[in-house]
Amino acid sequence: MSAVLRTRTVRDLLVVLVVVFGVGSIAMLLAHVSPIDGFAQLFDGAFGTPEEVGETLVQAAFLLFPALGIAVAFRAGLFNIGAEGQLVLGGFAAGWIGAQLPMPAYLAIPAVLIAGALAGGAWGAIPGFLKARFGANEVIATLMLNYVAVLLCTYLVTGPLQQGGSGASETAALPKAAQLPDLIGLLADPHPTLAYVLTPFVIAVALAFVLRWLLFRTVFGYELRAAGDAPEAAKRAGIDLGRTALLAMSISGAIAGLGGATIVAGELHRFNTGLSAGYGFIAIAVAIVGNLDPRWIIVASIAFGMLQSGGIAMQAEAHVPKEVIALVTGLVIIALAGRRVVATRRTT
Amino acid sequence: MRSDDGDVEAGGVVGLVHQHFKLIERLRVWENVLLNREPRRGWAIDVAAARERVRALAARYGLAVDPDAVVETLPVGIKQRVELLRELDREPSVLLLDEPTAALAPGEIASFFTTIGELARNGTAVLVVTHKLAEVTAYSQRVTVMRAGRVVARHATAETNAADIARAMVGGEVPALADRTATATAPLLEARGLSARSATSALDDASFEVRAGEIVGIAGVEGNGQSALADAIAGIVPFSGELRFAGEQLRASESPAVRIARGIRVIPQDRRHEALVLDWNVRDNVALGRQRSLPRRAFADAARAVIERFDVRPPNADAIAGELSGGNQQKIVVGRALASAPKLIVAYQPTRGIDVGAAALVQSRLIEARNAGAGVLLISFELDEIFACADRVLVIANGRFAGSFARADVDRGRIGALMAGQA
Amino acid sequence: MNATLAVVLALLGLTLVKATPLIYAALGGVLSERSGVVNIGLEAILIAGAFTSVAVSGATGNPIAGTLAGIVAGMVVAAVLAFVTTRLAVDQIVAGTGLNIAALAAAAFGLVLLYHQPGASREVPALGKNGETTLIVLAFIAAGVLHYVLTRTPWGLRVRACGEDPSAAESAGIDALTTRFWAVVAGGAVASLGGVYLALAELDLYSDGMTAGRGFIALAAVIFGRWTPFGATGAALCFGFFAALQFSLQRAGVPSELLQALPYLAALIALAGFAGRVRAPAADGVPYIRA
Repeated sequence: MSAVLRTRTVRDLLVVLVVVFGVGSIAMLLAHVSPIDGFAQLFDGAFGTPEEVGETLVQAAFLLFPALGIAVAFRAGLFNIGAEGQLVLGGFAAGWIGAQLPMPAYLAIPAVLIAGALAGGAWGAIPGFLKARFGANEVIATLMLNYVAVLLCTYLVTGPLQQGGSGASETAALPKAAQLPDLIGLLADPHPTLAYVLTPFVIAVALAFVLRWLLFRTVFGYELRAAGDAPEAAKRAGIDLGRTALLAMSISGAIAGLGGATIVAGELHRFNTGLSAGYGFIAIAVAIVGNLDPRWIIVASIAFGMLQSGGIAMQAEAHVPKEVIALVTGLVIIALAGRRVVATRRTT
Repeated sequence: MRSDDGDVEAGGVVGLVHQHFKLIERLRVWENVLLNREPRRGWAIDVAAARERVRALAARYGLAVDPDAVVETLPVGIKQRVELLRELDREPSVLLLDEPTAALAPGEIASFFTTIGELARNGTAVLVVTHKLAEVTAYSQRVTVMRAGRVVARHATAETNAADIARAMVGGEVPALADRTATATAPLLEARGLSARSATSALDDASFEVRAGEIVGIAGVEGNGQSALADAIAGIVPFSGELRFAGEQLRASESPAVRIARGIRVIPQDRRHEALVLDWNVRDNVALGRQRSLPRRAFADAARAVIERFDVRPPNADAIAGELSGGNQQKIVVGRALASAPKLIVAYQPTRGIDVGAAALVQSRLIEARNAGAGVLLISFELDEIFACADRVLVIANGRFAGSFARADVDRGRIGALMAGQA
Repeated sequence: MNATLAVVLALLGLTLVKATPLIYAALGGVLSERSGVVNIGLEAILIAGAFTSVAVSGATGNPIAGTLAGIVAGMVVAAVLAFVTTRLAVDQIVAGTGLNIAALAAAAFGLVLLYHQPGASREVPALGKNGETTLIVLAFIAAGVLHYVLTRTPWGLRVRACGEDPSAAESAGIDALTTRFWAVVAGGAVASLGGVYLALAELDLYSDGMTAGRGFIALAAVIFGRWTPFGATGAALCFGFFAALQFSLQRAGVPSELLQALPYLAALIALAGFAGRVRAPAADGVPYIRA
């Protein structure tokens, strides 16, 4: 177990419940809303109708991608706090490429997703390289790059790479071919609204299992985990820590970028700078609650997806500001952060 | 003082000098000695008074130190003086010393015990925790033997001897080591003018040779270049000068992976931080170092082999390494190093902090590896270990090699003098 | 010639304005890190200081009350981090990240509750020109005071001991956990003034996201400044200079996003160029767990 892990216990679950319901109730009371009302709207908003269940899974998917990326980095002993920036950049690349190139669906969709992954991967490679080569603190580097990513995308989309007519801060609409297909629609389902949402979620779940295999069944995963759990021992066992850092951060960024691409290709069908509702940060909570294990991260993403989608309804129906959700998320992160059991590499 | 059960009473201040010094490396001597008891002037620390107090204290006990020196720049023997002064400043009525001579050269040990003897004569009760029986018989008035957390024997020193004490420590006879057989001796590792630096250790212009089928012991006080030597051979730090292995020139820029591929295995000094992944199970730890050459399905067999050959307890490949005892952890580290039948083994403190039985087993396996034709470079701070295992003994002091002795010509006094830096 | 001088002076003045919140945050970071706690939560402390000072100033009509409230809020947020990282030995970076998320959300929530509009508060009584200048000068004085405290006072020595080797400090009778706790809280008090400055001196309101990562830039300043008060102040001035440069270069036609990115890029380059060669306090970031 690396820096953030410890065995999940019943006590952890109780702590999460206390934080969510306790702090949530206090916040609701401050907003002059009965907690019973507030939480009822939250759950109803998350699971009330099939459309809402679909929305919960959409949000889950958008959290699942960056959470998986963060988990890979954390397992390598690297604090990737830059998933938000990697995600935004991936979304931009996907949106721009998708609108640029006229292609049939079987080319357009992979192109769009790969573009997103490459862009996110490159953005993750920067702090990975700085860490490998200079020992630069990746926490600050990834944080800085979050801000730079948003600024860069804003600049590109309103300036040199603009598509939507002068000054529009978003890319042109993706042609139908580049949009993620209705998976269920292919099977002629009676609930068309459920259709499009499952595709990102299905892709994310599949990715989760691929990552589990990568981390625990391959030499690469073995070396990555060793570098995170015992860097000195790993070094002496012939593992190249610098190379591992670079690869781990690149993969981490690529997965987050892929997440951004699915937001664009699956939901918004264009890029704009507001595409992320802070997914890259909430995903940190998802990764930690999921104990850095892809299978549990899937479950955690559904739980947080529920908070996200329920939160929207809660704000609309019960008039509880949805910021409560983010507040509770932050407190859950603090509550579940584990002990650092093994000293990590001594760098700045 | 805290005890889990029972009472502890002391008739005054208790001073404790730890085996691994509790000194703050980046602070100065006076800051360490007077930490939390600094002389003050208003809001601030009275630095001049602090320096003076340390000087006076040092003079009183004959332990000369420079109050302004930064501790991390000091040699180990001087650091111990600082640690001792820190405790003495508190005027303890009871002084506990944990393995106090671990870091001292044989000559320094005598002067250390002179100081301690003075303290005792002046009324301080002195308790020394040690495994060096020669010192127990030479300097103590009473001896208590503990095993597995219990007191098993108590004597006046004059009424017992080293052999009896050893038997009480082990609870039986000390296990014997493996036999040494005659071996072929082609040169395996040749160093000429080898220099290297690691974080806190420097090796300077070393020339030596290890042949196949022999154990070369490097005797020296901790902190005299051993880490730089081990790290240079492992490929952790670069070196200058010449290093040849099996006839081939080693390049200073080679990574540890390349050295491993050549058949060189280094058993690191610190098993908890440099050898094992404490959170992983035994099986995954046994594979560490060979994860590329060993297919995943062979991990279980490799783990079983090491557990059996090295008597790892509990004999469970799923046990978490961090939960095993020090002795069993060390057996895994040594076992996996030897499992790939390496040509050269650098064993750096291979029996540090483990029980006598495990130590004997580890040393026996190293001897067996030597019998089978491997070359072993044994770096140890325990002279007894070196004398028991080595075919040849080299002495390292201040980063340089200072003497060479064949097994039959080993001379404790001479070696001790060389270790202390006296030619 | 006079025109150039005017431009240069304006730039220097703007540098001071931009650097001051960074200096306060960095000084708070230095104190925390010298005791051994990596304070990723500086951003949260800035937010707490900014929001609370505006809220109280608006409610009482008194900007001084707002300032004091801001300091208290910063200390409370720092205390949360200090508590979980010392008593519960929780990972400092993860806890700090959670705190940042929570603080930003709490402030946004507070905006809706108090002002019934998301995004920004209404304008409140601010500290005015005199107050602003006082805070700027105070920042430099604080650097000097912190230097003195760390190097010349018994408490400062204890803080440094805990940051280098808490186990050794404990064997000398120091309570490492309590010392770290109070170092982080005191650092929070200093850092919160950066938030107060942003909200009540440079402006007169709180807006969502106004701290814009200054807490993290301040951390880069701590590293760049080698964990010393004067070094961190100097580094903060450098980063402040890059922020000030925005306005001058804007008129030269450089795209505004690139200019806004300058401070972040400067921090990034500083990390890369200088990081590897400096040594943090030896126990920085390592929770101390009593055996």
